[in-house]
Amino acid sequence: MAEKSALTAEAQRLPLAAALVERNALRRRLVADPTALAGLFIVAMVVVVTVAAPLLAPHDPNAQDVLNQFRPPSAHHLLGTDEFGRDELSRIIAGTRISVLTSLAVGAAILAIGVLVGTVSGLAGGLLDGTIMRVVDVLLAFPSLLLALAVAGTLGPGLFHLALAMTAVWWVDYARLVRGLVLGVKEQQYVESARALGMSGRRLALRHILPNIAPPVIVLATLQTARLLLALAALSFLGLGVGPPTAEWGAMLNDGKNFLDTAPQLMLYPGLAITITALGFNLLGEGLRDVLDPGLR
Amino acid sequence: MPYVARRVAYLIPTWLAITLLAFFIAQLAPGDPASVYFERLNGRPPGRIELARTRHQLGLDQPVVERYLRWLGHAVQGNLGRSYSSGLPVTHELLSRFPATLELATTATLLAVLLGVPLGVIAASRRNSLIDHVTRGASLIAASAPGFWVAYMLIILFSVKLRLLPSFGTGGVNLLILPALALGLGEAGLLARLARSSMLEVLREEYVTTARAKGLPEWRVTWQHALRNALIAVVTQVGLVFGFLLAYSAIVEVIFVWPGIGALAVNAINQRDYPMIEGFVVFAGTVFILVNLAVDLIYMALDPRISLGSQTVPAVG
Amino acid sequence: MSDLPGPEHPLPSPSLHPVTRRQLIRMLGVGTIGASGLLAGCSSSSKPSSATAKRGGTLTVGADADGYVLSGPSANVGQYPLNANIFEGLVRMDPDYGIVPVLATSWTLRPPNTWRFTLRRGVRFHNGQPFTAEAVKYTFDLIATTGGGGTPGFAKHGTTIIDDYTVDVTPTFPNARLVEQVVHPENYIIAPGTDPVKHPTGTGPFQFASYQRQQQLAVKRFAGYWGQPALLDAITFKFIPDSNARLLALESGSVDVMLIVPNQDAADLQRKGFRVGASPVGAYEAFYCNISGKKGYTICQDPSVRKAIEYAIDREALIKGIYLGRAAAEQSMIPSRLLGPANAAKIAGYTFDPAKARQLLDSAGWTAGANGVRSKGGKPLSLQLIDGFPSPDSHTGVPEFIQAQLRQVGIDVSIVVTPDNAAYSARMNALAGDLWLEQGNQNDANPAFLPALLFSKKGLFGGSSYQTMFAPGGTFDVLINQALATPSEAEVKSLVAQAMHVLIDGDAIVVPLAGIERIVATSSKVRGFDNEPSQLQVRYDRVSLAT
Repeated sequence: MAEKSALTAEAQRLPLAAALVERNALRRRLVADPTALAGLFIVAMVVVVTVAAPLLAPHDPNAQDVLNQFRPPSAHHLLGTDEFGRDELSRIIAGTRISVLTSLAVGAAILAIGVLVGTVSGLAGGLLDGTIMRVVDVLLAFPSLLLALAVAGTLGPGLFHLALAMTAVWWVDYARLVRGLVLGVKEQQYVESARALGMSGRRLALRHILPNIAPPVIVLATLQTARLLLALAALSFLGLGVGPPTAEWGAMLNDGKNFLDTAPQLMLYPGLAITITALGFNLLGEGLRDVLDPGLR
Repeated sequence: MPYVARRVAYLIPTWLAITLLAFFIAQLAPGDPASVYFERLNGRPPGRIELARTRHQLGLDQPVVERYLRWLGHAVQGNLGRSYSSGLPVTHELLSRFPATLELATTATLLAVLLGVPLGVIAASRRNSLIDHVTRGASLIAASAPGFWVAYMLIILFSVKLRLLPSFGTGGVNLLILPALALGLGEAGLLARLARSSMLEVLREEYVTTARAKGLPEWRVTWQHALRNALIAVVTQVGLVFGFLLAYSAIVEVIFVWPGIGALAVNAINQRDYPMIEGFVVFAGTVFILVNLAVDLIYMALDPRISLGSQTVPAVG
Repeated sequence: MSDLPGPEHPLPSPSLHPVTRRQLIRMLGVGTIGASGLLAGCSSSSKPSSATAKRGGTLTVGADADGYVLSGPSANVGQYPLNANIFEGLVRMDPDYGIVPVLATSWTLRPPNTWRFTLRRGVRFHNGQPFTAEAVKYTFDLIATTGGGGTPGFAKHGTTIIDDYTVDVTPTFPNARLVEQVVHPENYIIAPGTDPVKHPTGTGPFQFASYQRQQQLAVKRFAGYWGQPALLDAITFKFIPDSNARLLALESGSVDVMLIVPNQDAADLQRKGFRVGASPVGAYEAFYCNISGKKGYTICQDPSVRKAIEYAIDREALIKGIYLGRAAAEQSMIPSRLLGPANAAKIAGYTFDPAKARQLLDSAGWTAGANGVRSKGGKPLSLQLIDGFPSPDSHTGVPEFIQAQLRQVGIDVSIVVTPDNAAYSARMNALAGDLWLEQGNQNDANPAFLPALLFSKKGLFGGSSYQTMFAPGGTFDVLINQALATPSEAEVKSLVAQAMHVLIDGDAIVVPLAGIERIVATSSKVRGFDNEPSQLQVRYDRVSLAT
């Protein structure tokens, strides 16, 4: 990947201290970039809603009132009501929590696993590296969504099983990227000298390697969050994950599909919520990528 | 040449690993497959003796490794067992429904290419213009919207509100449009962005500026030199897109009730039809690695500069 | 009613033996419940006469999941749950639950417990075999080998051939309901020695053409039918478990009839020009409380909790909001049309009284917790609702509604979805659930059918998880056994009503929700389709296609 080579080139030229100084400059460039700024704004809003969901929701998202089903937007229900008379806006807000937190949790897990495996593989080399990369290639040889579907479907219902399945499938992207980056950094002068001085593998990784491969990993993490969000929505839509009455965007779409004729707006709102949130992360990721490697603008 | 040979030979361990994966996934299943199998067939739960007999019949009383090897032996010959739901051979079911998925994926890929690539190329050649920004914006949104949701929005727009197009089933081009569009739009966005960045990269390169310096007209610079080279990256991506769509079509197939293998897989998962789930993973995985191989070979043929250890090719070593 | 004969069709087929004068008077006469029931049920009398109906054409029917059993003595391809008109029984049931003679022309109960059937002459099976008492014995003996001998309790040596057209049936228990029970398609007569899965051979107006499991079942007109030949040339039944897919098959024209229409789609289909009909109530929606206390599911053993659940549900809102008005506010479980209004009134049911529900829970020691869920001695009031029988599709919206209602009074309900019948049965066998959501169908004319099958200690299939989890025993069993044994029709209904009163009002084991109307949609070219309440007695021989 062209971006990878550019980034590793940059990483090669910067010892750690200089990298820190550079980071401030990067931050300034980030804020100046409109794409990144828009993304940052959206992500910030989403985070706020996630954290403050119970406070922000005007009604109890699970409070039913079936005689008031399918109401259009009104002062009392800003987005109207669903098939059970529940307030749609409150459910969207509540869904933010589950969708975003699950995506972030899975994202953190795959980041940790992927970086660990990639670093170990890259540093160790040889047979271990070869074996790990075979496994990675096999998992990558198969469309992640379907694999997650097969695993989650087999494990059974429940959000935990779904998160487990997603984690088991998506860690490979990081592993591949990190390994490649580590291979690139490994050869560098300061790393070799640190090794010669007898620095342990772990310290080496923590102090020299990881900080220098951080930028592309951060970009990937941001973009990956968007992808996880979409995957979660798709898998929930298929009935995996949370069960009723929990509000979750994908599950809400699954409920709404029965009422395309009577209340198409029930399909609109959760989908928009997903799109906007994913867009936010994508914009931020793109912005970060542009800032860290402006050549590709 | 040795690269190609290595690449093809590499398929075998990958395929074996896929079978291992498929087998492993099925083992994750809760409950007793023999009991489920008997119940489906006879409409009532098995008695103890019947259960033991069924377990023996299905080979479930053997150690795991032996079961895997036996299953693998059958799989290699193309026998993927029998579906718990329908009782029909899994391979037969998959093969009979595969053409529908192929049709959908091909049309979607075609739509994606026809929509995305020209837009991306134009956006690159008119950098920072309105077209460029609109393309980038639209493709970013396309990448952020869940594909199946777009499908429903299309249905609501075209079928429900406008009553223009029928929404479900097969039989005729007009029934193909919506699902293909739903599948293809997201990928169109991806291809547009890729085409654009490829073009930009190529346009910057030495030989292009040299061509300009030589006095060639701008359009020739763009369309002849830059395009041909930029498209190499795009072509490989199209191959990958096609491979992905073959598999990702599952959700779209379910929504539009399109009788392809994706819908089959989702139903199998809902019905805990483990032989079908296993068979599907093997089948789809096989198709996918074959598509990847084809893409790699095409890539190699198109760009003779690329040889061993190319970065865009799946890592070999 | 049950011991009087009646004609199958107003015009006797010429292949019948010459009719005696006594039989002729009976055929032409009215004034018995059976005969008037017949006239009401026979679609050809309430629609334009068959002489003007169009012949020919292939009807395509969109059915839901393929539920046929494919092996063993219970194999029932073409019979149940989808009755494809391949087989016929000794009798059938009309939409008012009256008995109509089919393969039997008359029957009497010979004390103490033997039914003597006189069989129709001149009937042939699809393969040319003549229909005689041998076929009846063959069929009933086959059913006798399944646990319990089916609902009628066929005994191993209980069916005796008297002569070619007379057969005696002695069930395993005092069963005065036998004739009402053999209307059920699972008791339909099979040609002796035939393979019921590969070559289902019956006497019906349609014969078997082909079957692909979970795809479709095709039948074609049987020219040698003993009654009036069918109007259609052929029927293809397509199995489309997903209701959305089935709906769209109807809209796109790939099926002409859609069985089992979800409530939310009914109005829309009508707007689009399809004929949407609702049958009289012939089924019910309810959930049952697991009182066994096994496998840790102990909460529902307390009758106060069960009663609280009953009072906590606003059934009116359920019918308006979830069923969109297309259900009846019945709480008798058994269709009130079958019981009759006086008997149905014996089952009081429950009003919507959340205050009373809370009070009951309070006095049972369940104190309200901070998050709204009650607890007692550290154990939260959490129940598992299993969704459901026959499939989750048939209950769309109901589990979430129940969940929300029960939450209002402090009961936490988690919903467990079983994707299909097999999964539901498996879970039942594991006794793993507190509340079991089911849609039950009044499959035959026996008022005691459902209570005897599901809730009596002995059960009618030799005992199953239903008995373990839901059978109250005691008075209920006494009443039901009496109901099964009494020859008086009026008494049966009264006894059953009393038994249901015990089950619902007294023990609150059954939480009835609504009476279900069967909704069927047909394209405008389909004529003569009568949507009868059990959906097991649909007669396709009078259906035709207009061009």
